[in-house]
Amino acid sequence: MRLQLTAAAVAAFGAVAASGVARADDRAEVSTSVFAEKRDGGKGGLTVIHPQADFGIDLGRFVSLDAAYSADAVSGATSVIYQADAISSATSFSDTRHEGTLGFGLHGKRSRIDFSATLGTERDYLSHQIGGSASIDLPGRNTTVALAYSHSFDQVCDKDNGMLSPQETKALTGADPCDKRSGIFGKDRPGTTLWRDLSIDTAQATVTQNLSPTMNLQIAAYGQVLEGFQSNPYRRVRIGQNSPQEHIPGTRDRLSISARLNRYLPGLHSAVHFDARFYDDTWRVVAGDVELGYSQYVGKSLLFKLHARVYQQSAAAFFKDAFYYQTQSTAGEFFTGDRELSPVRNATLGGKLTLITIGGDKPVWGLFDKLQVHVKSDVLLLDVLSANSLTDNRMGGDKQFIYGNNLIDAVILQLGVMGNY
Amino acid sequence: MRQTIIAIVLAAAVAGVTAPLAGCGRQAVRAAEKEFLADQVMVFDDDPHEASSDDHIRSNREGAAGGHGAGGGGCGCN
Repeated sequence: MRLQLTAAAVAAFGAVAASGVARADDRAEVSTSVFAEKRDGGKGGLTVIHPQADFGIDLGRFVSLDAAYSADAVSGATSVIYQADAISSATSFSDTRHEGTLGFGLHGKRSRIDFSATLGTERDYLSHQIGGSASIDLPGRNTTVALAYSHSFDQVCDKDNGMLSPQETKALTGADPCDKRSGIFGKDRPGTTLWRDLSIDTAQATVTQNLSPTMNLQIAAYGQVLEGFQSNPYRRVRIGQNSPQEHIPGTRDRLSISARLNRYLPGLHSAVHFDARFYDDTWRVVAGDVELGYSQYVGKSLLFKLHARVYQQSAAAFFKDAFYYQTQSTAGEFFTGDRELSPVRNATLGGKLTLITIGGDKPVWGLFDKLQVHVKSDVLLLDVLSANSLTDNRMGGDKQFIYGNNLIDAVILQLGVMGNY
Repeated sequence: MRQTIIAIVLAAAVAGVTAPLAGCGRQAVRAAEKEFLADQVMVFDDDPHEASSDDHIRSNREGAAGGHGAGGGGCGCN
């Protein structure tokens, strides 16, 4: 099963943007996240195990090298047909995705420039990305300006539907072959499967400003343009008596503006954090989120952080509740069963505990100047909203996705070790 | 929309360059006053794995994921 393309785009660009951070020391980090979601349908929940490892080293005063690897091991239940009763089409699946990044950086006293190349591969999705970022501390060293850009050349395995119209197309299945050349390039099998192109251009501008000795602010503008095949090739949508492959627009322009604020509280040896973000795109998904956090030192070696976030988005213009696709057909040319394009509200609550060990004269474990071990846990509460009138929806919207109806929708656990040497 | 995106990203970049020139960056905090700003709790995305993992999870549940800013603290302590 193809993992979400946005995951590849977001995660890879995150690596590019983060690489713009000027780090004082050589660094290594290893972590693993486990995401467990409850689902209906009798095929179990959804579990994602996401290990990450990265390693950075300075070569002399001006050059740095970075290498990173991450993977996703996904297993659980999914629904292959978006319909009023999606549970009846629930099926089991599993897949693994691998991603590797190599980075090269040049840095001076107040500025740095980084370049990276990322390769992501899974059975039915290939991603090749190049990116660069630059940051500079402006005179006075109270302002940092960072710019980042990346381009992804992605390929998505799809059923070869020839000249069939969108409402006649068949979806890809797990039994269909997705051939590759050299393991990293798609190879078509005419009449059976072919690889469709998707290009992703992403740009971000960030300004970080010290406002006082205890407060700093960051403003970011983010834009992304996606061109190409963006449907999930496996997903079908029930339209009348038929279930064609979902069909969504080939172009999507995305924009977000965010602001983050940190305030240190010297008397309490703690800090408060505020984060707000607005999002809009050409599919008319409009979203916003607000996050509050609090970090508290306990002694010199224990750091505890609590955070809470709320998020809400509107539906894409062509998204309809499954009942209406079934009884009234599509909203124009396009149709989708993607839950990410549905109206949804969620909340995240969590905490993180970090144990910090400073080496001093004697390195920690004989190697590290500073070593941090952390455990983090979040719970997600989800509220699925209706895209269309509930009054006329005889089937309701509760079962069009295979979410469970529990108070806690998902749990995330992360364990990590980060060392500076 | 595409033109809007490009315009906003460019405007943010220009604002980032011009605002400090107007004086808000040079005088805000002196070097000797940056003890707290250098603390790891004041650094945005101090843990890159945590930030990328959060984005990764959100991108599979939300249609609006991505673009939360870059790492770093702007403390000038590099």
